[in-house]
Amino acid sequence: MIQINKTPMETDVLVVGGGIAGLMAAISAAEQGVDVTVAEKANTKRSGSGATGNDHFLCYIPKIHGKNMDPIIKEVRNSLIGGYHDSPHTVKFLEQSFERVKSWNTWGIAMRPMGDWEFMGHAFPGRPRIWLKYAGHNQKPVLTKQAKKRRVRIVNHLPITDVIVRDGEIVGAIGLSIKNSEPVLQIIRAKSVIVTTGSASRLYPPAGSPGCLFNTAFCPSCTGAGQAMAYRAGAKLVNMEFPNRHAGPKFLARCGKSSWIGIFKDPRGKTIGPFVTQPTRELGDITSDVWNSVFTDLLKSGRGPTYIDCTRTAKEDIDYMIWSLEHEGNTAMLDYMDKEGIDVRKHMVEFMQYEPHLIGRGIEIDLNAESNVKGLFAAGDLTGNFRADIAGAATFGWIAGESAAIRAKKIKKFQKAENSALVKTRRRIYSAIIARESGATWQEANMALQQIMRDYAGVEVRSETLLGAGLKYLNDLKQHILEKLTADNAHSLMRCLEVLDLLENGEAIFHTALERKETRAMHIRSDFPFTNPLLAEKYLTIRKEKNRPIVEWRDKQ
Amino acid sequence: MIATDKNAIKTDVLVIGGGIAGLMAGIHAARQGVGVLVAEKANTKRSGCGATGNDHFMCYIPQVHGKNMEPIIAEYYKSQVGGFSDHALASIFLRQSFGRVQDWQRWGISMRPKGKWDFSGHAFPGRPRIWLKYAGHNQKAVLTRQAKKQKVNIANHLSITDIIARNGKVSGAIALETAGEQPVLRSIHAKSVVIATGCGSRLYPSPTPGWMFNTANCPVCTGSGQAMAYRAGAKLVNMEFPNRHAGPKYFARCGKATWIGLYKDPHGKPVGPFVSKATRALGDITGDIWSDVFTEKFKSGDGPVYIDCSSTSKADLSYMMWGLVQEGNTGMLDYMAAEGIDVRKHAVEFMQYEPFLVGRGIEIDQHAETNIKGLFAAGDPVGNFRADCAGAATFGWIAGQNAAARAKRMAAFQDISDDPHARKRIRLYSGIMQRKTGPDWKEANQALQQIMNDYAGPRGRSETLLQAGLTYLKNLKKKTTETLAAGNAHTLMRSIETLDLIECGEVIFLSARERKETRAKHVRLDYPFTNPLLTDKFLTIRKQNGRVHMHWRDRL
Amino acid sequence: MPPIINAEKCNACGVCADICPTDVFHVKKKKTTPAIRYPEECWHCNACVLDCKQEALSLRIPLPLMMLYVEAKK
Repeated sequence: MIQINKTPMETDVLVVGGGIAGLMAAISAAEQGVDVTVAEKANTKRSGSGATGNDHFLCYIPKIHGKNMDPIIKEVRNSLIGGYHDSPHTVKFLEQSFERVKSWNTWGIAMRPMGDWEFMGHAFPGRPRIWLKYAGHNQKPVLTKQAKKRRVRIVNHLPITDVIVRDGEIVGAIGLSIKNSEPVLQIIRAKSVIVTTGSASRLYPPAGSPGCLFNTAFCPSCTGAGQAMAYRAGAKLVNMEFPNRHAGPKFLARCGKSSWIGIFKDPRGKTIGPFVTQPTRELGDITSDVWNSVFTDLLKSGRGPTYIDCTRTAKEDIDYMIWSLEHEGNTAMLDYMDKEGIDVRKHMVEFMQYEPHLIGRGIEIDLNAESNVKGLFAAGDLTGNFRADIAGAATFGWIAGESAAIRAKKIKKFQKAENSALVKTRRRIYSAIIARESGATWQEANMALQQIMRDYAGVEVRSETLLGAGLKYLNDLKQHILEKLTADNAHSLMRCLEVLDLLENGEAIFHTALERKETRAMHIRSDFPFTNPLLAEKYLTIRKEKNRPIVEWRDKQ
Repeated sequence: MIATDKNAIKTDVLVIGGGIAGLMAGIHAARQGVGVLVAEKANTKRSGCGATGNDHFMCYIPQVHGKNMEPIIAEYYKSQVGGFSDHALASIFLRQSFGRVQDWQRWGISMRPKGKWDFSGHAFPGRPRIWLKYAGHNQKAVLTRQAKKQKVNIANHLSITDIIARNGKVSGAIALETAGEQPVLRSIHAKSVVIATGCGSRLYPSPTPGWMFNTANCPVCTGSGQAMAYRAGAKLVNMEFPNRHAGPKYFARCGKATWIGLYKDPHGKPVGPFVSKATRALGDITGDIWSDVFTEKFKSGDGPVYIDCSSTSKADLSYMMWGLVQEGNTGMLDYMAAEGIDVRKHAVEFMQYEPFLVGRGIEIDQHAETNIKGLFAAGDPVGNFRADCAGAATFGWIAGQNAAARAKRMAAFQDISDDPHARKRIRLYSGIMQRKTGPDWKEANQALQQIMNDYAGPRGRSETLLQAGLTYLKNLKKKTTETLAAGNAHTLMRSIETLDLIECGEVIFLSARERKETRAKHVRLDYPFTNPLLTDKFLTIRKQNGRVHMHWRDRL
Repeated sequence: MPPIINAEKCNACGVCADICPTDVFHVKKKKTTPAIRYPEECWHCNACVLDCKQEALSLRIPLPLMMLYVEAKK
């Protein structure tokens, strides 16, 4: 059996995942005067999708945008990230966003590197701009330092695998130490738990390079753990049937498409979108935000491929673009381009649409960032009824920290989470994987899962029969995996658990996709190829009760 | 530099590849009294697509089909293999096919295991049946034995990498010994060379893209024959037309016509119009005729498509299992048994596989000779004739005959020393072996597959897609040639396979760009119609002095 | 497959292994140059390259991740 650390950790607030949301949650909770621990799979200095930086922070600054927030709310709704919000969350986020900006600036992340607040990119001509350009290359080290300053305990190399619930309330969590080759379980007693594990990559095959599992725009170590562990604990997930697809350079998958300053063109040099004819830093080319599938559609029609053409971009804007890309975390790409002689002043670079992933799809939270499980909070990319990328993670991370701390203060005693039946069950599963001499590797399991997701719950077409078949195969695969998966050290075991979490997310996707009998956004049903107005403002939640999935409709708030 | 064995090999006839076509070529050439060397990448007993058996041999038997061959020729053209064959070659094949059947029977491959000649499967109701059912599980062992009996020299683990030709005449080849840890180069003098290297797999991503070797056809048949011939100045033909096989999902296997069941949708409705009950005589020919059905039903959301054997008679089920064993599918049957997959109660999902090259490649005449004198080709790498095992057997025979005849006419071997092309290739291989760091063959193979899939793929082609893809492919070729690294004989062999695949890829791009219409699986999004002016027009492509020549000709 | 450590420049501080978001490195023994144990799991984020004070790290982008580009039309 896997070793289990006899001494459980105790902490008022446990933060699961030390990304943007997690560190903000920790700082916020610590400021409330409670004891905070961040359990991080890698190292908070460089973990998650914020690893080496970002350069866009969605926010509302009254001084710039005016006292009336309504136009900004509208802009958020129509943006790339605003489609699946509960409205009160949008409002609360926007109201608090500037405070977060100011804090970051104070702490040493340059939020107005050009002197004044600059809103650039992701923008329509003639409309308010809401994406603040900032210099985020050092955001993770800065936030880590701020957390440590407030005596937050950061435990790196400790991925949390489960949250522990008793009588409908959170009492702690199970962690897997990957510090050494030999895996060791660590039980944590906590009064509040905040899951901030980021988005879910590796669910579908990487669009251009299916054999390369880690070629993803968002962090490939973010594999929907938060969604999965919350789901297992009885929390509601929402909007799981709607895949997101990012876009960017091909084949190297990167974020930051809006940091490029150019125009999308076809190979004959003809501009594709109707928005701009001259590339500028203010607007960029919003075609790819609005016409999400443009890169794929042009390949399918034969008019493509689609290129970004920066050859007519002004010199100062090229410099600005390169500087932005550095802050967006794209130095590896820039180094590669240098080495290869790819020069945006004379070359057009092909862009593509990436594979489906989950961001802003997952745990349902209220305005206090709490799920339906008492004491279980969530923030950032893994919430399903709110999304605003970095800014959303920062803002709702802060809210979650506050709420979690307030709750923790009300609770006198820690519960003995280590005595929970869940600990025994999970320990048995993990031990079986380690004990197996030979069998299937996590890579096999991950690829098999991706194949099923792509074919049966993909973005080309879904139908009753395809989803039904896929769900059956997924269950078959799950059986196979539980019987055959093998790992020989902590790292591989971690990867195995990631795949199991992905499977859980996959199941939720199948059930909700089956239930939504219409076509909407990228949820395309060939058997219901129309958009049903009755479902326009309806969200579909899914939760597990006694191991059975229960789907429920509710009104969008 | 790579170790070189200074002793050059001399052989009258060199056969490249010890598959069905290669062994038949070797046997028949040897019967003409000349010295024959079969150079085989692996071991002829189990190499190639015929490895563990096949169960269908297309042929014309006058005793069964009647004296008039015309209806059988017509049936051939309607079959899934007949679409791009020169008529003359089809006729020759059919006429000689029974001779090969009888040879095999005599040598110990059971061609009429049920007593009478049994034509079953791949068949339309009410029409002549042309696929002979045979028990081929031991075919490679039998042919190997026969070759040895004829005093054919079989060199296993000897991979031919290049053909040496001068002034439009073949003179020899370069080979790589791969039995040891480190590769050893050999030079071969030959008066005639027969290319019989099989099909071209691993050009496009497999059904399971992270597993490159999950292919229905042999994954180490990588279009090397086509690539070598092209480099030597031979014409390739019909390269723009991808083939796509179909079979069980996700485990890629041949033998779909060995299953006896009906293709059905998930509601139990048959997808094809041909039969309402599956019998051994016909099977369900929907998969041959409408091979896109598995993909189409997926796209429309009406899928998946399953094969349903639950109404198949008990006797036919036994026949099917026996057939699958002969077809080389014991690996699959063992898996199904272990998993509890029972065709009597379970419907198995089928899928369409990735594009590959079979019956696309080297252009031959009636003597199986290419435009390079002394260079012959037979079997799957031939581009203007295809008939799977039977085609390989028959044209292998013809190639052997003519290769031997030529060898007899030639007094002396040609000089192959100091061939500039050979030196260039050897430098390339040495470079790969010398590098300590760099991308490996797997990276290059995956990158190639990605480019082929997106720019010359099944989704559709267009001028701009093909042009872009060709640019990227050339870039990849340059990077691969300059930076690829391998550490031993096996990985060098894989590296060369990948380079050959890149060559085939280039040819596909160029040919696809030239054919400005949609026909069969060559889909042009910018020319979405079939141009009657291009019916029965074949597009050939060859390279001479670094320049590519494309040429339209009539189907003969 | 990246990353590549220049052993001559490396001072075995172990920072690269500590901060890698996808746990690609393995430190067999303290104060020795880490091994790249899981090269296929590299995200090519460049964190190790940026954080190495000795500038001992570089990334090689593998071929399947090649960027595609063409000359712009005039």
